[in-house]
Amino acid sequence: MQIYSDYKDHADFLTVYIREAHPLDEWQMKANEKDKDDVCYVQPRTLEQRIAIANDFTKRFNFPLPFGVDEMNNAANNAYAAWPERLYIIDETGRISYKGGNGPFKYDPKEVRAWLAQHYGEVKHAGRAQAAVREVVSVKLQGKEYGASK
Amino acid sequence: MFYNVAYPPSGSLSKCANATGTSMNRWLFWITVSVGLLLVSAFAGLSFMAGGPMDAIEMVRFALPQMHMGTLKAGDAAPDVRLVALDGRTRFSLHERTGGRPLVLIFGSFT
Repeated sequence: MQIYSDYKDHADFLTVYIREAHPLDEWQMKANEKDKDDVCYVQPRTLEQRIAIANDFTKRFNFPLPFGVDEMNNAANNAYAAWPERLYIIDETGRISYKGGNGPFKYDPKEVRAWLAQHYGEVKHAGRAQAAVREVVSVKLQGKEYGASK
Repeated sequence: MFYNVAYPPSGSLSKCANATGTSMNRWLFWITVSVGLLLVSAFAGLSFMAGGPMDAIEMVRFALPQMHMGTLKAGDAAPDVRLVALDGRTRFSLHERTGGRPLVLIFGSFT
């Protein structure tokens, strides 16, 4: 969502909700159980069910990005080999400029950020810069302490 | 006598066959052990990736058949698909959202 905030003036974003990855009736993950993330849904069998889950998602996270839901024939999922999650960038001419890897292991928003930064410049955040400075100072201090104890 | 020279006694022939059989059995044993070790290692690796042995089984059962690399590659025309808006009634095409500016597509689900 940070990438969206940083680059929404330069690029459009569209989230496409596709078939569930870890529903109760297939491969449910422990992290999704009620006492943890509490994301317990069966695989939708109708478009109404799919729309209801998509709405739960956007409401729960106040999700600000534009949203579309894949039809029950999974046309978008099939066309883009998207399951369980994947990122693409389509350029101004309608051609694929970036194709990310299959999630979760090769799902990498940093690559999208890098693409956007290359085209529209890097967006730096005070928080990140401060964290980086803190890290450097911490390393230097540790070095001093180590040197002093020697 | 002549018969014995031309055709060694069946006892010695049988020993030769036994030696070959033992060698074959040894090969089969090691091939089976190697394949077994490979399978166990693969299962251990999958279990580690998936989060546990049961998850590895579920991963093979549900995830692997659905994961595809796809044929699309950079430079290809982006396929058009119809999508449904959150109101459940409005439909729009992906191409309506392209052109003018780049479009970042994020595919995923809740779980």
